[in-house]
Amino acid sequence: MSSTEQGTSSAAPAEPTTAPESAAAPEVPESFYYVHGKDKVVHKVSAGALQHSALIHGMISNLGYTEEQAKANPFPFENIDGDILQMVVDWCNQHKGKPTPPEDTNLPKQKEKLFDLVLAVNYLEIKELLTYCCKQVAMMVKGKSPEEIREIWMIPTDAEDEAAEKEAKKRAGKEAAGETAAAAGDAK
Amino acid sequence: MKLSNFPYLVQKEIFDNMKTTNLFWLSFASKNIKKLIKSSQAKRFRSISRITYSNFVNKWYVGIPFKSINMRTMEDCMEMDTIMTMSEDFDGTKHIFRLNVSGKKIGFRVSNEYPIPEACFPPILKARAFKAIHNYISDFFGNTVVYQWIAKSYRFFIPQLPNLSLFVSMFVHPLENTEVLETFFASYPEMKHIHIQWDELQLISPESKFYQAESIRITQYRSPTVHAFLRNFKGRQATLCDCECGFVELIKFMNRWRSGEGSRELEYLKIMTRSFSTNLNGVLNANWVKHIDAAKKPPTHSLTDLSTPEPDLKPNTDPIISHTYIVRESDNRVASISVKGWNFIFGVWKETEEEFLRMVE
Repeated sequence: MSSTEQGTSSAAPAEPTTAPESAAAPEVPESFYYVHGKDKVVHKVSAGALQHSALIHGMISNLGYTEEQAKANPFPFENIDGDILQMVVDWCNQHKGKPTPPEDTNLPKQKEKLFDLVLAVNYLEIKELLTYCCKQVAMMVKGKSPEEIREIWMIPTDAEDEAAEKEAKKRAGKEAAGETAAAAGDAK
Repeated sequence: MKLSNFPYLVQKEIFDNMKTTNLFWLSFASKNIKKLIKSSQAKRFRSISRITYSNFVNKWYVGIPFKSINMRTMEDCMEMDTIMTMSEDFDGTKHIFRLNVSGKKIGFRVSNEYPIPEACFPPILKARAFKAIHNYISDFFGNTVVYQWIAKSYRFFIPQLPNLSLFVSMFVHPLENTEVLETFFASYPEMKHIHIQWDELQLISPESKFYQAESIRITQYRSPTVHAFLRNFKGRQATLCDCECGFVELIKFMNRWRSGEGSRELEYLKIMTRSFSTNLNGVLNANWVKHIDAAKKPPTHSLTDLSTPEPDLKPNTDPIISHTYIVRESDNRVASISVKGWNFIFGVWKETEEEFLRMVE
């Protein structure tokens, strides 16, 4: 079950509206939790749906929130864009309590969105969805030449890698020198 | 968004979901990517037992053979996951892009046959291109893989490269000059398997590298040459099909083996004769042939068949379950002997006679 509303990360969210749930209604009342992304839009998600996320599931197990406490303290995922979190929540709801199919064709086709979804799903530790996403990322380069793959996945050339490594070494050297100078200053 | 922005485990998951062919092509994108693929896919590469190079018309196919369960795709039908193809460049430089392959710039184009790039090079640079490509492939997939070059003729181009097993079929013209063959055998001293059909094999020198091939299969072998072969073969496995061979010849061979005079490396010999009048059972009458009690069950002799580059099709030599055997005097090792109809099979055990008899039930 999912719902969204505009809110703030610090304030308790207003009563969210609920959308029809795909799974059959449980016999015992289900507990709900609240999450929001970078856009602060709060999503109400059932504990059953959140079980897909090892990260959130672990947080719930450790916190032992009551429904009221959960509503007052949505889990903040400031590193995840709102639309991406919405996709994740939708996926968790769609697959609540169901065995996951071998393929998922509803993933975003746009490269940037898919890449952001991968990062979010990896962070939230949703294993099945991560596998689907990675499969889709892998499919992007099927039958492509090395140069085409480089463009799609923005892989640096050897020369670029070498330049970046040189730069990193230079920076590390400077930082080390700075630290040495600071330590010498402290000693004085 | 860059692939490098993903954590290692995500990159690994993406690679895990890619076909080996696509990973191979990805490896050309940069040295760092190649390193990453090699480290994250070490387990997959270790599970690849063989990579074969085979030639068809004027193209070479590099692939990973597999046992197909169904015939849904072209790859299933070929039982081969093709990594790349190679061809001599006959149509100029149209649509060619260059890749750095083991330090050599090699031209590639997208094949219209497979959705994978194809290496193309002028005939004069063929040997150099094969060497660079093989070096790249063996570095990428590692040294747990066996690399096999399958040639359908000794007249086709075969590169001389380390770490490459050669399987060659030779249907030799009756008037072929022996020197041509001798030169060929001398050029490839570490041949894995030769399949040959030539009635004049007795003309080959006993010292020829031919006799040192690990495995030899001979078709239509005339009587005068059987003796030469049995006397000179120094490899591990041999199959003689459709041969003219009597039991006297076989007794001589077994006696030499027994006394340690020859065939020290031999593991398996199968002779299928075409002389329907030949009574091969005579070999069992030699007084040094030993017999296991008929009421007991002898152990089964079977080895990995070296004659086929497609071990999935025929992984092992024909099993020998025989009550007759001989013992080599020098090391007490046993060879089982089976005579069935016009077939003679000889299988050497690692075990001594004492150990062998312990396996009899």
